[in-house]
Amino acid sequence: MIPSVRSLAATAVALLALPSLAVAENVKIGAAFSLTGNAAAYGAQQKAGVQLAVDEINKSGKLKGITLELVLEDDATSKEQGIAVFQRFINRDKVSAIIGPTLSTTATAADPIAQQGKTPVVAVSNTAPKGITDIGDYIWRVSLTEGQVIPSALKVAQAKIGFKNAAILYGNDDAFTKGGFDVMKASLEAAGIPIVDIQTFATKDRDFNAQLTALKAKNPDFLMVSALVEQAAAIVSQARQLGWNVPIMGGNGFNSPKLMANAGPAAEGVMVGTAWNKASTDPVNVAFIAAQKARGNDPDQFCAQAYTGMIVIADAIAQAGMKGGRDDIKAGFAKVKDLPTPLGKFSFLPSRDGSHPAAVQVVKNGKFEILQ
Amino acid sequence: MTSSALQDLWLTYQSTVAFIGLNGLLALSVYTTLSCGQLSLAQAAFMAIGAYASAILTFHSGLPFVVNLAVATLLPALVSVPLGLPVLRLKGVFLAIATIGFGEVVRIFFVNLDYTNGALGLTAVPQRTSLWMIYAALGAALFVLWRIRGSRAGYALEAIREDEPAARTMGIDAARYKLAMLALGAAFAGLAGALEAHYTYMVSPSTYSFTRVVDMLVYAVVGGTSVFYGPVVGAAFLTALPEVLREISARVGLAPGPLRLFVNGAVLLVVILFLPEGISSLPRRIRDRLRARREAHAA
Amino acid sequence: MGQQIVNGLFLGSIYALFALGYTLVFGVLDILNLAHQAVFMVCAYAALVLVGHLHLPMLAALPVAVLAGGLLGMAVDRIAFRPLRGRSDSNIAGLISSIALATILEAAVVQVFGPDVERFPFGTVPTRSLKIGGAVVSELQLVIIAIAIAMLLGLTWLLRRTRLGRRIRAVAESPKAARVLGVDVDRIISASFFVSSALGAAAGVLFGLAFNNVSPDMGRSVELKGLAVIVLGGMGSMPGAALAGVALGLLEVFTVAWVGSSYRDAVAFGVLFLVLVLRPRGLLGSAALREA
Repeated sequence: MIPSVRSLAATAVALLALPSLAVAENVKIGAAFSLTGNAAAYGAQQKAGVQLAVDEINKSGKLKGITLELVLEDDATSKEQGIAVFQRFINRDKVSAIIGPTLSTTATAADPIAQQGKTPVVAVSNTAPKGITDIGDYIWRVSLTEGQVIPSALKVAQAKIGFKNAAILYGNDDAFTKGGFDVMKASLEAAGIPIVDIQTFATKDRDFNAQLTALKAKNPDFLMVSALVEQAAAIVSQARQLGWNVPIMGGNGFNSPKLMANAGPAAEGVMVGTAWNKASTDPVNVAFIAAQKARGNDPDQFCAQAYTGMIVIADAIAQAGMKGGRDDIKAGFAKVKDLPTPLGKFSFLPSRDGSHPAAVQVVKNGKFEILQ
Repeated sequence: MTSSALQDLWLTYQSTVAFIGLNGLLALSVYTTLSCGQLSLAQAAFMAIGAYASAILTFHSGLPFVVNLAVATLLPALVSVPLGLPVLRLKGVFLAIATIGFGEVVRIFFVNLDYTNGALGLTAVPQRTSLWMIYAALGAALFVLWRIRGSRAGYALEAIREDEPAARTMGIDAARYKLAMLALGAAFAGLAGALEAHYTYMVSPSTYSFTRVVDMLVYAVVGGTSVFYGPVVGAAFLTALPEVLREISARVGLAPGPLRLFVNGAVLLVVILFLPEGISSLPRRIRDRLRARREAHAA
Repeated sequence: MGQQIVNGLFLGSIYALFALGYTLVFGVLDILNLAHQAVFMVCAYAALVLVGHLHLPMLAALPVAVLAGGLLGMAVDRIAFRPLRGRSDSNIAGLISSIALATILEAAVVQVFGPDVERFPFGTVPTRSLKIGGAVVSELQLVIIAIAIAMLLGLTWLLRRTRLGRRIRAVAESPKAARVLGVDVDRIISASFFVSSALGAAAGVLFGLAFNNVSPDMGRSVELKGLAVIVLGGMGSMPGAALAGVALGLLEVFTVAWVGSSYRDAVAFGVLFLVLVLRPRGLLGSAALREA
């Protein structure tokens, strides 16, 4: 159960004494992911990503004298649990940095604690435009926001299809899908494309026929959907089943092989802006995918982002002069420049958000392909 | 034993302690209506009203926190009156269902309210709640309930709980008492909502769902509803449980999520079947059992 | 417009099927069985296993899942409700113990299957569609509506024309009187749970097929709507549940079409609330003892 106070004291003293030792230093990184709850599909991939990264970094000896120790906890897709896990990481496990949590909603509640506790956080899947990095200077982000991905994805789609108007369907009771909608609406308006109809649904819904029928009646050339993958698959299936073949573009929630698994042939042709170009022939990316497959996991964007988050932390430690303290890592982040990652060459923006090239995918033959 | 180790222990579990207090207050808000035999499940909605009201005041007015909390306590109580008048006439499970309906309508209202960012809710709410405030509120609530217990009102409530028609023939204005307890419960829930919002930095509609109010009910039932402090015992037990389970599941190797869910369900089932008066009745039952055994030996 | 009517009828028949079982138990026991949605969900998974792993055709898997549902329902009665019979607070206690059991079942399913959404393998059911008027109706949808009607008729026949049905109605009227007349009340209650949960199981499998969606929390979305349906229809009334189910389905769909999709759920609960306040016995329920 709760470690004895004496052993806690001993650990505290030992950890305090560590920086002065020149021998192998153990740097703990806490990973808070949704292993259960609504976002569990993403959390599982993230777990695979960080585990691979930690193993590779430790084996390569890239961080001379430093061993990364991964402490993994479940945020249960819940704010309460997220807060509790962060507190344990910061005060009990005394991690040097935290990766996660999975959803933006959890992050808005838990990240302020890390900011107060002066512990750097790397957000690897929070894509809400506001309320993450603006919490404070200890919060950094690897995942591109919807605001960074969607506008360029829209441009590519427009060039390919040339649609005259559009409609939007989104989940209005989830912070992530609602945030995605806001970006979609703004992007369409900025591109001068009239929006003929907007419909909403609740995360618990399974039946979208009514909304889809209403949208279909307005005859848009293009449908943008902001949904988590569970609803995404159902929406796409039901739309096709209603005999509606409108081109569909999804937000970040669509970025999961579960889309094709659950929607089957109905997913063909669906477009998704992505932070991860899986088909990129960049050697770092190819090696990452191979290593994941060797472990029995077919990686998705969340896996790639989590992996990248961890190697960014490792790079920050190196940039700080092989020092693994909290402020060392924070200072190191600012020095990360064009780091080779599966996501492409990565740097942080002055706003502490991530920056790397984005891409557009289309589902072809049951797999995501890059739309050129 | 160094003080820094204790401090670390404290910081780690501080939020658990805070949530024990908050959940205790929420459990009491469900208990108030249970104490006169009514099952109301609208408390999550009252909590939402209190949370949103206080957060809006924090953002848009310079009023001191105490005033915010006062509004968060009174507003839901006021709202509960027009709700209660038509709805408290209903029997047992129908009252429960009506309040569930009300709760969902309120939640959906907030999901669609653009002024508060709909589903995104209000973020970056400054943390104005401290631990002592939570426990002061809890203490105040317990005090109020304690005073009611021994008073004439307390006896009236029990009579209503036992047998409402009989109580009414004895001249007890059951409708008035039930409404008063509904309002009191709404006040507790609103206060807890405001405190929580200023502790977790945010207010979002998904927090105030049917699942949440079922949790509150479970705290109250597991703790025991025959004594006024029972629900707090239940809240403390069930809030601390995930932390304990986290340790266990790490050692046993079971996935923490399903285990927590399973244990919650199992504890609830065991309590309702075998310990109907809740955990808080355990000391008394053990004492009675021991005494009976002692008397049997003496005889 | 025609399409929306089809959408509404289809959604409504699923609601109706779910609500039939719900209201049956309420009519007999005066208790809300909140584990009904868990049986609904578990049997959808059962069918998933039968079709996905054991490669049974759906025609065989459906009856097996329905049977399993009935048996599970009897277990629910045995574990959560029977021990409480005779206790003064049995209504609220039963509610709570059924919630507890539902939680346990959900946890077990998450542990075994994981939290993700699953679907029936492609090709489990035909995917042909017909065009009727301007509306697209899939074969599957027609089959589901037909099954729902068949089950309603079957249930009505069971209750009106069989000895078991008579006994169930007697117990629903008054358990004490029934016992005096020699009816084994516990056995009849058990049988009611069997029938109720078999209906819930059917609803679950069909729901999973209809929306390509089997997940541990699939019951939650329907549970609260189910409440609205049985209240609207009148607690304990089978035809009421069927009528109200379809009505709610149509109401939801036309709210989306004419008012706005954001209000879809609010309408269901608003109706629920209004019915309880204005006419607690619902459309077809008896006026007995609904008020305190």
